[in-house]
Amino acid sequence: MSEQSAVERLRARLRSQRLTIAKRELQVLSREKTIVLALVIQLFVAGFSGFLVVGLVSLYDPGSVEGYGIEAAVTGEASDEMLAAMADSDTLSGTEYNSTAAAFVAFDEGRTQAVFDTSRRDGTIEVILTAPEGSIETTLVVAESQEVLRALERQQRTERAASLEVVPLDLPPDRGGNPYFDFTYTVLLPLLVFLPVFISGSIAVDSITEEVDRGTLELLRVAPVSLTQIVDGKALAMIALAPLQAMTWLALLSLNGVGIANGAWLFALATAASVVVVAVAVGISLVAADRRSAQLLFSVGVLLLFAAASFLPGSPANTAALLAIDSATRSTYAAVVGYLVVAAAAAGVARWLAGRVDPNEL
Amino acid sequence: MSFRSRLRHIWRIARWEVSLGSTSLDRRTLLAGVALLLVAGGIVGAGLALGVEGLSPTQDIYRVGIDDDSPYYDVVADDAALSPREPDREKLETGELDLLVAPAGNSGTVSLTLDGNDGEGVVEAGRLGQSTVSVAHAPTEKGTAALTTFRAAVQGYNDRLMALEPNETAAYPVSVRLQYRPQSSPTGTRGGNSSDTDAGRDDDTETESGDGANDDENGGSNEGSDGDQSTDDGTSDESTDDANLDVDDERDDPDVDDEGGSFLDGLLSGGNSQGSPAEISPPFPFSSLVLAFVFLVPMNFIIQAYGGTILNERINRRGELLLVAPIRRLDIVAGKTLPYLLAAVVAITGISLGVGGGLLSVAAVLPIALAFLASTFVGAMFARSFKELTFVTVTVSVFLTTYVFVPAIFTNVTPIALISPLTLVVMELQGEAVGLGGYVFATAPFFLGSAILFLLGVGVYREEDMFTQKAVPLKFLDAIDARLRGPKSVAIASALTIPFVFIGELLAIAALYVLPIEITVPLILVVIAAIEEVAKSIHIYAGIESDRFDRSIKTALLLGGLSGLGFFVGEKFTAIAQIVGLPELVLGQATLTPAGVTPATTLALFLGPLVLHTVTAAVSALGARKEFRWYLVAMLAATLVHAAYNFAVVSAYV
Repeated sequence: MSEQSAVERLRARLRSQRLTIAKRELQVLSREKTIVLALVIQLFVAGFSGFLVVGLVSLYDPGSVEGYGIEAAVTGEASDEMLAAMADSDTLSGTEYNSTAAAFVAFDEGRTQAVFDTSRRDGTIEVILTAPEGSIETTLVVAESQEVLRALERQQRTERAASLEVVPLDLPPDRGGNPYFDFTYTVLLPLLVFLPVFISGSIAVDSITEEVDRGTLELLRVAPVSLTQIVDGKALAMIALAPLQAMTWLALLSLNGVGIANGAWLFALATAASVVVVAVAVGISLVAADRRSAQLLFSVGVLLLFAAASFLPGSPANTAALLAIDSATRSTYAAVVGYLVVAAAAAGVARWLAGRVDPNEL
Repeated sequence: MSFRSRLRHIWRIARWEVSLGSTSLDRRTLLAGVALLLVAGGIVGAGLALGVEGLSPTQDIYRVGIDDDSPYYDVVADDAALSPREPDREKLETGELDLLVAPAGNSGTVSLTLDGNDGEGVVEAGRLGQSTVSVAHAPTEKGTAALTTFRAAVQGYNDRLMALEPNETAAYPVSVRLQYRPQSSPTGTRGGNSSDTDAGRDDDTETESGDGANDDENGGSNEGSDGDQSTDDGTSDESTDDANLDVDDERDDPDVDDEGGSFLDGLLSGGNSQGSPAEISPPFPFSSLVLAFVFLVPMNFIIQAYGGTILNERINRRGELLLVAPIRRLDIVAGKTLPYLLAAVVAITGISLGVGGGLLSVAAVLPIALAFLASTFVGAMFARSFKELTFVTVTVSVFLTTYVFVPAIFTNVTPIALISPLTLVVMELQGEAVGLGGYVFATAPFFLGSAILFLLGVGVYREEDMFTQKAVPLKFLDAIDARLRGPKSVAIASALTIPFVFIGELLAIAALYVLPIEITVPLILVVIAAIEEVAKSIHIYAGIESDRFDRSIKTALLLGGLSGLGFFVGEKFTAIAQIVGLPELVLGQATLTPAGVTPATTLALFLGPLVLHTVTAAVSALGARKEFRWYLVAMLAATLVHAAYNFAVVSAYV
């Protein structure tokens, strides 16, 4: 038997021990059915975000509400200009009233949802806009009226272009694009990718400190494994879990018609984040005195790291968004590689720490 | 035991709890914390050194092909979400660009046909007015979204340009003042924001529609004809000049505006009511919402520590010493909870001072803190391991945060937003008054729910439940059973489930909202029926399972009847409380009631639910006599009956 193969066999044995520990961790999780709870929470978050997006869009974007139109009453000296500005609007149609009083009667009777009371003063047009108070429509009426008023402003500026030093740029046309299109990619998607990572780290802290706390680490040590291997196994299980969950959510999103690009890169990013966070978790639970302070330190620490990382170009959330929305550049891919390097370093530090800690002192 | 000695016990346990917490923060932990801080600080420092501050999460998500000598180049370069690239028409087709802004004429690589689709999948958006630039976007949803973002960016760029203009009249030819006025819409959905300021507002708007237009003196220099403004004094309490008074909803907190980083600036400036058309904004209380959210952040850390300490008692029978001491269980729990509650109060008060809230904010967030603590307590009593506890903690945070936060978004839209106490905070930050009715309506379910959860948890704070590894559902049944006494307690328990039923139904509606309406309505009716049936029968099942009640048909019918009665009374009580507390909420509902209601139908409407609740609860109770599967079958039957009833009532009204 050569020396080489003996080393290899030893390696294989150690690896399998790590895998055994990892498998055991996953079994405990599935037996406690906590993983189901985790999935339910994330589904809930996703569902609620969808609710929010739909709600926000229908609040601000009348195009999404089929057949919706706003009737506006226009009155006063500058009625003609105001009506001309309204001519281009799809949702808001204006009617001229002879007097302010008549316009308000129409408003009070619910025949119009907005009153534009116009007047001229020192060469400018003044508009007093009245919108319904405290109703579902208010936001929509104000948002649409604002569009019309801005159109009026543009027309007036164009007429006065001669007395302007810089002429404002022409406005591109409005083709009814969804102004909340980016919400899914910049808020929801990073949430779904990084929430499982955070939960994984949190379980890693629990898993290690609980063994310490209950004294069951002693029993594990009777088996011929080192603390490093135990930690390795536990960490492995948690690291594997997060990217899988993240990918499940991304698959669900694309089933719902949200196009997700760069799946492999997103997987790499989720894995890197998972390794970093679990390494931090392992480090903290080996150093901190008890579960409570470890858990607190972990959650505050990771949130702090995440917040700090958003100051960097290529922050994790932005990188995930750029990858998924298919706007990634070379520097985005470089950022992912960078995170993988950081992950390798973090894993190295955590293992070094595990090797240095005396299990008897835990 | 005297009250004073009980207080002394609670105080002593609380002091132990604090000293235990502080010893666990030893040197090594502190060092680790400092190390983490240094790393985080280093990252921020590196970011600042690289010259980026507060990057937007939308950084560079849309790629715009544009020449750097284009007049629009600065627009694209200045906007965070837009990133300038080489203009290349083919890349628009291959999906490497989302938007193309290019000279309209033939110049090198770019050739554009105007006004129309050129058949290659690229959508021409057309020429920009008189200038020689045209815009095209990719034929995707992302392409149109990019165009919308670009449009907003051009608008913002123009606004910045105009701000530098010396000729103000030409730069700002239009000025707007936004005001709100209650409107009795035909659907009856009107409602004020707060119950007590409405009266004053109504008064002053009535006179407006008179013909007093254009004849009142204009004190403010920035006013044109404000005919409808003549009577607006007295509407609001903090006003001096009559210019912006009518705009009750939109008072910015002056100390809010200068907070917030570069990214938040745009969002935080919401709620203006006067200025150029660019400056007014819809009544979306964004800044107040962000500040209200800050209140929820420390809760998450507090419940983490709190859940840990409760579960700690249950590991290795550590809590046994306290259990055998001559102290009541309730006092032990009170003592262990007190430090965390105080920490929460301190945090809330500090934040309230920081964000410019007042006593109302503290009083409104306190029940939220209690709900966080109570649900964590129950979770920690049920959890079998720290891992499970972590999930419980995350669940509690997520559910409670969404539950209190989402309604608050609609603060200015509908009084129903008051189901969340956080709405009170948003209202206070906006400078609106809140009536006592509104406060009670928003917070009572939280106070009541927290009290019930604590009682449930204390019920299993005993040896046989604390130190055993029972499955969570069994522990839950135990906890309910621990609160039952005689048959009468079944009725009380049913009534007490009302706050949870309320919360559960609201969550169900929110979750099912995204489905198409033909599916949503029937599904919601069934889900609501199921939630209520579970609430009415789960404690009966718990009581029978633990042999507290015998399994005879007579007992089951009695328990079912009592449970239904209790639930009915609780429901009616809540309805009455709502009418008293929030009259304007009921105003809308009342208009929905058909006009010709005779006394007989009123009686039927009143007694209908009573009969329904007792009958269905009795059905479930009959099933609960046998094993779990029979209970499920019976409850399914009860749910179907209930859903059919709901459906009949709804279709009778529509």
